[in-house]
Amino acid sequence: MAKSDDCVHILQGLLVFGNVVIGMCGIALTAECIYFVSDPHGLYPLLKTTENGDIYAAAWIGIFVGLALFALSILGIIGVIKASRTLLLVYIILMLITFAFEMASCITAATHQDSFTPELFLKQMLERYQKSEPANNSDNEVTKTWDELMIQNHCCGVLGPSDWQEYTSAFRRTHSDADYPWPRMCCALDAQRLPVNLDGCKLGVPGYYNSNGCYDAISGPVSTHAWGVAWFGFAILCWTFCVLLGTMFYWSGIEY
Amino acid sequence: CLSLPTPPAQLPYVPQVSPMALLGKVTATTFALERPRCVFDGHADASDAVWLAVAFANASAAFRNPLSRADVPLYQQLPTARSYMTLETAATAYSCSAPSPAVLRVGSDTACRDQGRQDPCNGPLPSPGPYRVKFLLMGCGGPKAETRWSEPILLRRAASPSTIDPAPPRRGSAVVVIASILASLGAALATAVLGALGAKVWGSLCHQDLGTDTFIRRSYRTHHIPPAPPQPLPPGCGCSPPGLCHSAPQAPAPCQT
Repeated sequence: MAKSDDCVHILQGLLVFGNVVIGMCGIALTAECIYFVSDPHGLYPLLKTTENGDIYAAAWIGIFVGLALFALSILGIIGVIKASRTLLLVYIILMLITFAFEMASCITAATHQDSFTPELFLKQMLERYQKSEPANNSDNEVTKTWDELMIQNHCCGVLGPSDWQEYTSAFRRTHSDADYPWPRMCCALDAQRLPVNLDGCKLGVPGYYNSNGCYDAISGPVSTHAWGVAWFGFAILCWTFCVLLGTMFYWSGIEY
Repeated sequence: CLSLPTPPAQLPYVPQVSPMALLGKVTATTFALERPRCVFDGHADASDAVWLAVAFANASAAFRNPLSRADVPLYQQLPTARSYMTLETAATAYSCSAPSPAVLRVGSDTACRDQGRQDPCNGPLPSPGPYRVKFLLMGCGGPKAETRWSEPILLRRAASPSTIDPAPPRRGSAVVVIASILASLGAALATAVLGALGAKVWGSLCHQDLGTDTFIRRSYRTHHIPPAPPQPLPPGCGCSPPGLCHSAPQAPAPCQT
C-alpha cells in the first residue's frame, strides 16, 4: 500500500499547489480589477454613455471573484490536507459558482472590447460635446472628459481636427465655423490654458494646434482593461478547471 | 478725383487658395488665399486700395467693376447681387518690400454677419459655393487694375453624424475562442460533478460495496497501543484473506460498518 500512499501524497501535493496558485491569482485578479475600476485615465464617462459600461461591471465582478478564489483556495487546502469530504464538497460547489461568475465576466469583457471602434467615440463626441442644453449630467461629464483628454494628450477629436469639419455637431450649433473650426482645446495652449496663437490655430498652422486624434489615447487604456479582465480571467479559469477535476477525483476516493 | 477713361489694366496674376499645408485653409464658411505680393507694383499709388471681389462661380462673368468706392457691393448683398467686395487693404501692403502674413483669410469676421453693418466687411460665407475671386486695384477715380478670376473654390460640406455607423465591422475571433472554450469547460465540470454525485447517490441507494474504491485515509493520530489480547472478530468484519486473522497488531483492513 506504500505505492498508493505515495500516489495519494503526490495528488495531495498537486492539489495544494494548485490551490496556492489559485489563491495568488485571485489576489492578482482583485488588484488588477480594483486598478481598472479606479479609472486612472478618466475615461469612464465616455464609456458609460455608449452603453458599454458593462466592462466596468465585468471588473467589479472580477474584484469579488478574486477574493472568493482566495478564500476558497484556503478552504481547499485545508480540505485536501484533512481529507474531509464535507469541506471538499463545499469547496467544489462554491468553486463552481465562482467559476460561473468569472465566466460571465470574461465573456462580457471580451465581447465589449470588440465594440470600441473609432466610429463609436466619434459619434458620441459629435452628438454630446458642448451640447448647449445638456439633457442630463452625463453630457457635462462627456464635455469635461474630452476637454481634459485633449489638453493632457495634446490631441484633437477622435481621428483629427478634421472630424469637426467633416461632420456637423452639437458643438457646431453653438460655435460658428469661422471662429471655431475646431474647439479651443485643440489649440496649443499656454500655462493659463489660452491659445498661444489663435489665428494660427484657426488656420491650422502646424505647431499651433493639435493635429493628432485622441483615439489612441482612449483605445489604449480601454483595450488593456478589457484584455486584462478577459484573458487573465480565462487563464485562471483554465487552471481552476484542472484543479477542480483533480479535487473531484480526490473527493470521490476519500473514505467515509 | 477724375474718373479714369480707360478700362482697368488686366494683370496676369490668378488668385488661388494658399498652397501651404494648412488644415484650416478651406472650412465650411471661410477660405484662405495666397497673398499677392509684387502683383500691383507699377500700377498702384500710395493712396490706392486693393479689394477682393468674391462672386458665386456662375455669377463671376456677370460681375461689373464698381466705378467708385461708394458703389462697392457689400457683404450683405451677397444673396441678391451674387457677389460682394471685401478685404480693403492699402496697396502698399502688397508691395514687394512689405513684410506680411502669408495668407488672406476670407470670412473671418463673424461680427459682420450679426450686426446690421452697412460698411464693407469680411463676413463668413453663407453657402459652400463654389466661389471665384479676383483682386481689384481701386484708385480714387475707379478701378485701375484687376487680376484674373480664380478657379472655382468649393467650401467644405459637413455630413450629419447620424450617418456614422458605430457597429464593429466583424466580431473578433478572440471572443469566439474564449466563449467556446469556457462554455465547454463549464459544461465538463458540471457534468463531472453531477456524475460523481450521481454515482455516490446510486451507490448508497443500492447498498453496493464501495470499500475497494477508497484509497485515501484520514491521517491517524498515532498513540501507543498496548498489544490487545486476541478477541473474537465481529461477525460482519472480513479479513483478507479469510481465515488468516492474526492477533499481532497490524494495520486494520478497511471494514464495512
